[in-house]
Amino acid sequence: MRKLWSTLNLPSKISVLWVLLVFFFVVTGNFLPLLDPTEYDPDASGVGLFSPGHFLGTDINGYDLLSNVINGARISILIALVSVGIGGLIGSAIGIGSAYVRGKVDLVVNLFFNILLSIPNLVLGLALVAILATSVDPSIPIDPNRRVFIIIFSLTVVIIPILGRIARGATLSWVNREFIVAARSMGMKDRHIIFKHIVPNVLPAIYAVIFLAIGVVIVAEGALSLLGVGIIDGVSWGAMIGRVAGDFTYAPQSMYVPVIVLALTVIAFNQIGDHLRSQLDSREGKI
Amino acid sequence: MNNVLKRVVPLLLVIFGSTLIVSLLLQLLPVGLKDLYIAPGDEASVNEQLKSLGLDGNAFTFYFHWLNDFVRGNFGYIIFPGGGREPVSNRLATALPISLRLVVYVQIVALLVSIPLGIFTAYRAGRRSDRAISYSLFAAASIPNFVFGLLLAIFVGVKLGWLPPLGYVSPSEGLGEHIKTMILPVLSLAIPTIATYSRLLRSDVIATLREDYVTMAASKGLSNRRILFTHVLRPSSTTLFTSAALNMGALIGGTLVIEQIFSIPGLGTEIGIAIFSRQFFALQSYIALIAVGYVLFNGIIDVVLGFVDPRTRERRNA
Repeated sequence: MRKLWSTLNLPSKISVLWVLLVFFFVVTGNFLPLLDPTEYDPDASGVGLFSPGHFLGTDINGYDLLSNVINGARISILIALVSVGIGGLIGSAIGIGSAYVRGKVDLVVNLFFNILLSIPNLVLGLALVAILATSVDPSIPIDPNRRVFIIIFSLTVVIIPILGRIARGATLSWVNREFIVAARSMGMKDRHIIFKHIVPNVLPAIYAVIFLAIGVVIVAEGALSLLGVGIIDGVSWGAMIGRVAGDFTYAPQSMYVPVIVLALTVIAFNQIGDHLRSQLDSREGKI
Repeated sequence: MNNVLKRVVPLLLVIFGSTLIVSLLLQLLPVGLKDLYIAPGDEASVNEQLKSLGLDGNAFTFYFHWLNDFVRGNFGYIIFPGGGREPVSNRLATALPISLRLVVYVQIVALLVSIPLGIFTAYRAGRRSDRAISYSLFAAASIPNFVFGLLLAIFVGVKLGWLPPLGYVSPSEGLGEHIKTMILPVLSLAIPTIATYSRLLRSDVIATLREDYVTMAASKGLSNRRILFTHVLRPSSTTLFTSAALNMGALIGGTLVIEQIFSIPGLGTEIGIAIFSRQFFALQSYIALIAVGYVLFNGIIDVVLGFVDPRTRERRNA
């Protein structure tokens, strides 16, 4: 563990600490002695940073920003982890499988990935959420939990081709190496070759991209809120941004607090992903 | 001829597939399209409406009805309660040029800034100035464009009051005002783009600088500037242009969000209106149009790259 830590440069160390802090809040946010993020303070609407009782101030309705930003991490990170986890698993399975089989299957899978990637990822996510989250009766908005589920589903669909293509590319570069050919000529079963020889070699490339993909999803959650289809009444970073997007002139901190926290988190995930990728390049270089 | 086909067929397949997917998405709506858009009436008028909207068959006949209209430049209708209709192409005629203008400005600004920046950081690679710039660029590339948009709107637009934080003025209404309203949106989209491009160019230029012909040029006594801009930039720019094309996707998505933030009446705003007012035919055409434009743009860049770097052309023909 200590050895791993010492290989990191300063920006990566800061990033790891920031991500750990965010995860700490994801786990403990509920139990920390904070104000209720959904209760507003009628005596303090739109107070600035470092006000008594409201360390990061409040928004125009009097919701405490510190408590919202800490509790908001839970939904935002949950959406990111679940959609990248499931999307990554499905995408990698399809990508590795099709690259291993090759032939017509691979041709079709590659076309399928290209088709999904031909719609810019935010636009695809937006279309999916907008369509799935349409309520049958326009006067009754859909259930907030259902909306979170729809957002996770939509962003999973967005992630599948991104990770699928990476896994496919990485697998293609391994399937013709001598040790795979040797394993096959010795009569090793395809299933064993894939899990014993290909997956361990493809995984590092996927790890690196997973961190970048988490960043993409966190950004998408915020962007969907600005486009008016994200989480509206709930506690998440996107919801905080979406609630005040129309008018932030009166209480600008209600906008820049969540936005800066979101940006720092995305930078941290990207930095870790970038570090993993550079490790990978040097490993490839040694081979 | 064979080469042309080899390029065009996959392109057409992708366009066909993506528009089909967008069309099939409408089938996932929790409400039926018929319930949304067919005004009640006698059987003849209902049938007439179903036929004109392509709803008289299954999901695939609906798609081909839409595709048939789409390739003829009919992008469907916005249907008002009661049955009134407005062609989507009316909206596109005003909204699309605004969004395109924004995207073009961003690409121009981004390339103008990132080319010198990328070359400079590569030339000073490893020195303190390079490290400082590279780390800031990394951070800037990771920050989503709406963060820049919102922060610029708050601080430059509202607090300092230097530039209008909202609104759009077309160049025909006043060029000065047009530029003023475009500065903040263009900056918010351009900063992350500049960062992405300069980082790519930096690593490419560093690789090119190790080539023998660069040493040769230096030993002939050519000036550093001459070497960098005439001998190094062109072979290094392939990745830059490929990524500029791919980045178009992120830029289109970003444009939608930035338009919402700065109240620019472009395609993003129209998409927002279509979602809010449940105009799914319009939404379908908007998204299909984005996908088609994005695919075609990438195809064109692919061809253009053959001219910039003949090495890629030969490799492809082989």
